[in-house]
Amino acid sequence: MKGTRFLFAVMMAASMLVCGLTVGPVLAQQAIKVGAVQPITGRFAFAGVNIDAGLKDALGMANEAGGINGKKIEYIMEDGQYDMKVATAAFKRIMSRDNPLIMYGESTGLGKAMGPEIKDRYKILYSSTSFSSELANVKENPYVFVSGPTYSDMFGILLKYIAKEKPGAKIAFFYSDTEFGKDPIPYGREMCKKLKLELVAEEVAQVGAVDVTSQVLDLKRKNPDYVIFQGFVVSPVAEVIKQCRDFGMTCKFMGTFWGATMMLLDKLGPLAEGYLAVNPYTYWWQEEIPMIKKIREYTKKHYPKVEFRDNSYMQGFVTGLILVEALKKADKAGQLNGEGLVKALQSIKDMDTQGLAAPLTWKNNKFPVARIWKANVQKKIYEPVSDWITLED
Amino acid sequence: MRSGDFKESYLEDEKIFQSVWVKVWLAVLIAVLAVLPLVADDYVIYVANLTGIAIIGAVGLNLLTGCTGQISLGHAAFMGVGGYCTAVLMSRFGLPFWCALPAGGLAAALLGMVIGIPSLRVKGLYLCIATLAAQFILEWVFVHWEGVTQGIRGINVPPPSIGSIDLATEKRFYYVILLLVLAAVGFARNLLRTKWGRAFVAIRDRDLAAEMMGINLFRYKLAAFAVSSFYAGIAGGLWVGFIKVVTPEHFPFSLSIEYLAMVIVGGLGSVLGSIFGAVFMVLVPELLNVLTSASKELFPGLGQMLSPLKEVVFGCLIVLFLIFEPHGLAEIWHRVRNFFSLWPFSY
Repeated sequence: MKGTRFLFAVMMAASMLVCGLTVGPVLAQQAIKVGAVQPITGRFAFAGVNIDAGLKDALGMANEAGGINGKKIEYIMEDGQYDMKVATAAFKRIMSRDNPLIMYGESTGLGKAMGPEIKDRYKILYSSTSFSSELANVKENPYVFVSGPTYSDMFGILLKYIAKEKPGAKIAFFYSDTEFGKDPIPYGREMCKKLKLELVAEEVAQVGAVDVTSQVLDLKRKNPDYVIFQGFVVSPVAEVIKQCRDFGMTCKFMGTFWGATMMLLDKLGPLAEGYLAVNPYTYWWQEEIPMIKKIREYTKKHYPKVEFRDNSYMQGFVTGLILVEALKKADKAGQLNGEGLVKALQSIKDMDTQGLAAPLTWKNNKFPVARIWKANVQKKIYEPVSDWITLED
Repeated sequence: MRSGDFKESYLEDEKIFQSVWVKVWLAVLIAVLAVLPLVADDYVIYVANLTGIAIIGAVGLNLLTGCTGQISLGHAAFMGVGGYCTAVLMSRFGLPFWCALPAGGLAAALLGMVIGIPSLRVKGLYLCIATLAAQFILEWVFVHWEGVTQGIRGINVPPPSIGSIDLATEKRFYYVILLLVLAAVGFARNLLRTKWGRAFVAIRDRDLAAEMMGINLFRYKLAAFAVSSFYAGIAGGLWVGFIKVVTPEHFPFSLSIEYLAMVIVGGLGSVLGSIFGAVFMVLVPELLNVLTSASKELFPGLGQMLSPLKEVVFGCLIVLFLIFEPHGLAEIWHRVRNFFSLWPFSY
């Protein structure tokens, strides 16, 4: 027993040593550094892998086209595991080791935690996977931007669409008891009043809930024309739609960005009939769009095995395009630093993404434009049913 | 040449500094820790700060679980209470950090005493479930008492400062944590040598016998809960002062388990063990992270496999410890130290 114990101690010491020794030396290069903490593993990995690929490809494509006025972009990514502690550590590690000009973060939580330091200490441009309205706050987070509309904007766009399609319609919000779920709700209430829509119900369920009977019964009583989901990815959206249909309800169901994924369409199957979602980017199957064509070619060349990219990839890609544009502008102005990048970002107007998104115009640290898409059950795709809708305020 | 560790009186056995060398090495360690921020980068200091906070929390839990034998699955929630109290006092009442932090600790201690009341009636697994309930109730409160905790959005805390010294950066905050770690460890180590500490141990070993000996179970069990929660509250307050934001997500149930694991891996009932456990549990995932990112160039895709492996490694380590070294890292340390100090005449 004594021998085993000693062996165990030695093994422990050896494993610690091996871990310590493999801290590889980091190459120093004269390049523009873009750091990222991505949720490659963990709960959000389904999107994280795509977002990472999209951002990396957009920067890679820019490099192939000559970089930022001749300077190459170096993309440094670490896994944040969708865990605040791990992500913060990764963020600090990248900042102290590589000191990048731009950082990309994996969650709303990370953005909030790092917000004050980004503003007062690091002074770098920051964007993230999050569409949180709280992050796109010019006063508190001058260096932080959202590469599309915020969840509140998405609600605004959906409600605007409804107000046009069916004035005075009855609306229900169905959201999760999380930050992600609650983010746009106060704004949504306000918007309903403003657009003279009647908010008849607000249902709350847990992410991944299985039993949604009480919420569905309440919906049945209130009989809304439209039900908007927020704060879920897949479950319990399918269950809610199924039970509502079983009760013979004819209301239309809607979702925001994470409810506009291919994944959801797969899960819903025939239930997706008539499902509407708001998405600021175009989809992989719209081959006629020049940028989608380019992305497909690039993917074929670099990842021959990949056959499809979901909308989260496009989110990463559009972020990359915006970053490249800001970098080019800042470099031209001779101000390749946080301040210069923010100024460059603010001056972005009608930026051409070659069809991947609407012409982008900066507005209060976000780009509040998107369109409504309808699920096509036969073809298993989303098709646009509206033009690009810009939210005025 | 020494051939063993012989003592002639209890007083000698209870000495903290068993020899001059212990003092010397401790002084060296403190000196190294004191100059660390001058040479290390922000990331290293960030990890050091996390480790320091974990040490305070783990020492606290060890006093309760390791020394008094009361298993608590609500340690993270007590940290949360300390954290939220500190955050509210700082952001809403404008109290300085050095006032808000002890207040957070006291709030956690008070609540810990309330949660500790069932420990007088229930033991072992039953107490485990009672504290588990506390964890979930408090988590629910953090999310839903929006008037105070601001719900899921959490509270942003102004950068802490003491007098005119701004503690916004990792390096400055490091010294605050270092001082508190030294104080916390020193207090715990000394507490165990007093009547109180002996009462704790007596309760752990057999509470009935302890009561027969005249130990007031009510007082000492609650005291253990209070001290342990105070430590947790301080750790939570430090975490909030360090990260400058607090949301309910920061104090999940898994954190309670992590602390319990620290205490078990480090060594139940040993202050030194809590330190080892905390250092181990914070550093291993960081090392695994560094390992995966270093190997990314050589083996792309390895990271995706290794990250989930972290949990597996942790699980295996805990099982291995329970089988081969129930006394934890502290015991390994003792054995290795004795091996060298008694070499070549070890008994």
